[in-house]
Amino acid sequence: MNPSIPPSAAEYGGDEVSAIVLDPGFSTTRAGFAGEDTPKSLIPSYYGKYSSDGQKKLIFGDDVFVTPRPGLSVHNPMGNDGIVEDWDMAERVWEYSFKSKLTGPKPGNPFQNGLNDIPDGELPSEMEGVETDEKPLADSPLLMTECGWNPTKAREKTIDIAMEKWGTPAFYLARTGVLAAFASGKASALVVDIGASNISVTPVHDGMVLKRGVQHSPLGGDYISSQIRALFKSNSPQPITITPHYLISSKTAVDAGQPPQVKYKSFPPERTPDASYRSLLEERTLSEFKECVVQVWPGPNKLSAISPNGVSNEEVARSSPGRPFEFPDGYNQVFGVDRYRVVESLFDAKAAIPDPESASPAPTQSQTVPELIKAALNGVDVDIRPHLLANVVVTGASSLLYGFTERLNQELIQSFPGPRVRISAAGHTSERRFGSWIGGSILASLGTFHQMWISKKEYDEHGPNIVEKRCK
Amino acid sequence: MAAADVRDMLDLPAEGQPRPHKKQKVTEKRPEGITRELFALLGERAPPIAINENRYKGRPKWMSKLRVRPWEMAPFTNGARSDGLVLRHWQRRQEPAKPPAPEGSEMDVDEKKEEGETKPLEQEYSFTKYNIKARVPRRYTDDEYNQRLRSDDWSRQETDYLMDLVEEYDLRWVVIADRYDYQSPDMDAEANANALVPAKRYRTMEQMKARYYFVAATMLAIEHPPSEMSETEFDLHEKMLKFDAERERARKELAALQLNRTSDEVREEGILLEELKRITASEQNFITDRRELYSRLEVPISVGNTTMYQSSAGLSQLLQTLLQADKSKKRRSLLGPDAAASSPAGQNVPARDSRADTPTNYPGGTTKKSAAAAAAAREAQQALKSLTPAEEAKYGVQHHERLTPSVQFRSDRAQKLTQAKSNVQTQKLAAALAELEIPLRLVMPTERVCKDFEKLIHSVNLLLDARKVSEKVESEIRVLEAAKEERERKEREAAGIAQGDESQTQGQGVKQEVDEATKLPAASGGDGEAIAAAPTAPAGGPAETPGQGTSQVETTAEAEGEKEKEPISGAAPAPAEGEKDQDASAAAESSNKRSASVLSNGSDKSPKRQKK
Repeated sequence: MNPSIPPSAAEYGGDEVSAIVLDPGFSTTRAGFAGEDTPKSLIPSYYGKYSSDGQKKLIFGDDVFVTPRPGLSVHNPMGNDGIVEDWDMAERVWEYSFKSKLTGPKPGNPFQNGLNDIPDGELPSEMEGVETDEKPLADSPLLMTECGWNPTKAREKTIDIAMEKWGTPAFYLARTGVLAAFASGKASALVVDIGASNISVTPVHDGMVLKRGVQHSPLGGDYISSQIRALFKSNSPQPITITPHYLISSKTAVDAGQPPQVKYKSFPPERTPDASYRSLLEERTLSEFKECVVQVWPGPNKLSAISPNGVSNEEVARSSPGRPFEFPDGYNQVFGVDRYRVVESLFDAKAAIPDPESASPAPTQSQTVPELIKAALNGVDVDIRPHLLANVVVTGASSLLYGFTERLNQELIQSFPGPRVRISAAGHTSERRFGSWIGGSILASLGTFHQMWISKKEYDEHGPNIVEKRCK
Repeated sequence: MAAADVRDMLDLPAEGQPRPHKKQKVTEKRPEGITRELFALLGERAPPIAINENRYKGRPKWMSKLRVRPWEMAPFTNGARSDGLVLRHWQRRQEPAKPPAPEGSEMDVDEKKEEGETKPLEQEYSFTKYNIKARVPRRYTDDEYNQRLRSDDWSRQETDYLMDLVEEYDLRWVVIADRYDYQSPDMDAEANANALVPAKRYRTMEQMKARYYFVAATMLAIEHPPSEMSETEFDLHEKMLKFDAERERARKELAALQLNRTSDEVREEGILLEELKRITASEQNFITDRRELYSRLEVPISVGNTTMYQSSAGLSQLLQTLLQADKSKKRRSLLGPDAAASSPAGQNVPARDSRADTPTNYPGGTTKKSAAAAAAAREAQQALKSLTPAEEAKYGVQHHERLTPSVQFRSDRAQKLTQAKSNVQTQKLAAALAELEIPLRLVMPTERVCKDFEKLIHSVNLLLDARKVSEKVESEIRVLEAAKEERERKEREAAGIAQGDESQTQGQGVKQEVDEATKLPAASGGDGEAIAAAPTAPAGGPAETPGQGTSQVETTAEAEGEKEKEPISGAAPAPAEGEKDQDASAAAESSNKRSASVLSNGSDKSPKRQKK
């Protein structure tokens, strides 16, 4: 086969119509052209709000992290359960996600390209100019994703925005679970999606969600962050406070466990950004911590259980070498068994680290991943349960926690000793992070899919309720 | 050997034609990017590193002459859509007319082919053909519904809803059951009137399936009455009519049970399955074995004519002959040991008698015969009961703990004993037997003779083993002694006569050592004989002096002799067999003598060894 010659359309069933796939999540929003393997545009779903000179201003995208503007507060249009709360801002964020890198505004005033100083007076008029532009998606069909439990109202609102505000010629709303299953090449699968705010288990049969089996619980990446914070508070040599980089002016290296030698940046009280900005930046440190240190006890059995040779698993975990981590202020420490404890509550609710100040309530056993999977299986027909168990798809960025799939496999084998359990988790990080986007990219570039789009004409005829009929 | 010789042998002409030139001139190809002059300077050995710049392969020259075939963003409509949505995709631009071909190049042909492909594509979107809906039955009319589809359980609205869902989800029952959410309008009103929370009716997948299949089958029957149906249609109709929701539900319960087994149950099941596999495998083996056996034992079934037994005269004749046979058998069984000895197992005799009777029940069934059979059975029973151990011995009645499954001759078994594993051993055995004047094939292989023969063979084997070991030891001793002498000689030479005393004592010391060394194998083996005796015969203890060893062998030989006499005494009370047995006994006696001689040989050897 000659690699320089692309496969013919009939071979892979593809027919690309330059559709845009938009996969809004709680933590990040992914957007890109269908048919590509990673989203071109990856922005945080958070947006910044501040006022300067009496003008309310918004910051989107990665710019949110950059400058600690005075009074900058960070918000998220999504609710904790993955359903949009603030529709106006959600629309703005989503629009930014494809407009900034995909469809983009036409090259305009060089004052605006960021290379020139902008006289303060000119900006508002330019903003108006942008708004009067033609609709941003006029020539691209749009495939959007939604969580499995998205209410009808939210779906109708979504198509309303896409059709009326963005002017897309065709629209489709697909469920993340289905798309994640497609991304791993399966039409029927049990999708375990470990996201930032939620974990969800979605049984998919022939490319359709089985609604009665959809389960979700709030033990996502943010919950793990709160567990890590609780761990830091009760840390043994001294409680750890996370100081984001923007607050640090200089630091010197210190030995492990020693108090940090650091010079802080001082902000005058009227120029400090909002607390939400700090917590967002702390979250970045925490996600680094998750990537480098946190590890899931690989099992078999819980961390608190006794292993077959009489030693408690916690002892075994303690004997494994710890992992060092240096915080932005130079404080560093080696984390031993604690790095297992922070995620243990995803599998064993009793193992949660108690933190009375945390916003998230203590998890219940029914919120843990194995219980969710059990509940999801109980919600579907018994005939397809073994097939689903043989096709467990793990996706979502938080599933990249070290050892997660091994543990999940152990738990499932213990809960279901009879049927064959087989977990398919993409090995590549980006495939795991953008699982549902990739599925959408595949779906929207299929020739057979193009009959599924909801066209503008159909929308005009049937109204927004058509999304319920078409996107089943 | 020169090439000329080979040619000579093979009758080839001598150096006629010149040999084909084997070495072909290896011309190294000039790599691209080096001029011919420079390449010539390189000489024969080109440097291992290729000196050509990296660059892309590029297009063949003739391709540059072709015209560019442009792509364009072309709008298209999808035939599977009703709204005529226009989407745009990249497509080869359609040439308005056939381009004038500059040369008859390959690409031109390609182009034509592609045009052929794209032409219909423009007319119809190529993916439209995948838009397939499941075939669902025609929707019923009001009349049809009222006449044939009414159900107490299902309202018309709900049935409609179900049929809609089935059509929408293409008969994917898992999805249909998942999405089924029917709210009955009138029920809602009623329920709201009575209760706060309206009781919702859950339909199971089986209920839905049952209803749908009923509707579908009825519609099929309306369209084509069952008498006019084609075969597939009829099958379908039958299948749908026979759907049993209850059974399906039970099956699913079982499936759920199967799914939710504990790990112990799973393990147990695995073990059981393994066991089952083993059992079926062994059963298969057993069946094949038995079939083989049957094919060997298969007696041709008598297809004799039964007409001769139809008349009363014929019957009575048959009865007579049977009775005759019966009587003679009875008499023989009474005769005892000789009859018993002739049969492989004495206790079989009464049983055989009764068996001989059983077929007679079929043709006649006369009271006389049955009475005779009963009498015979009684007699047999008495005979069985009344036998004392002495009588058993007398009649040769034996009780086997385990019978080998097939029929075999005793003489065969005896014959087998004379076959050792190695050919040499067999020959030795045969020689020993010949010396004892016992024929390889026993003349009168009675039970006892066989037993004693077995013992004899066993002891001959023992003896042979002993001899082998002793020979081995002897040769070892010889070698060691030779070594010792050699060493002594050397010492003597080295020590000269002057230091006689010291060296002698030393030499003695060495001698003693050597003696001990030679003793060691001898003593540990009880002079070899006991080595052989120890593992084979439990009687011969391993730590015996050579003298004891030989005496032991002698005693066993004596015992042998005694045992060999026994058959004679055993045969004595049997007058019928006496004559035949005497031959055997004579043979046994002579064998006794000879065995003694063999043993004397053996014992001769051991004193020799002692001397050493």
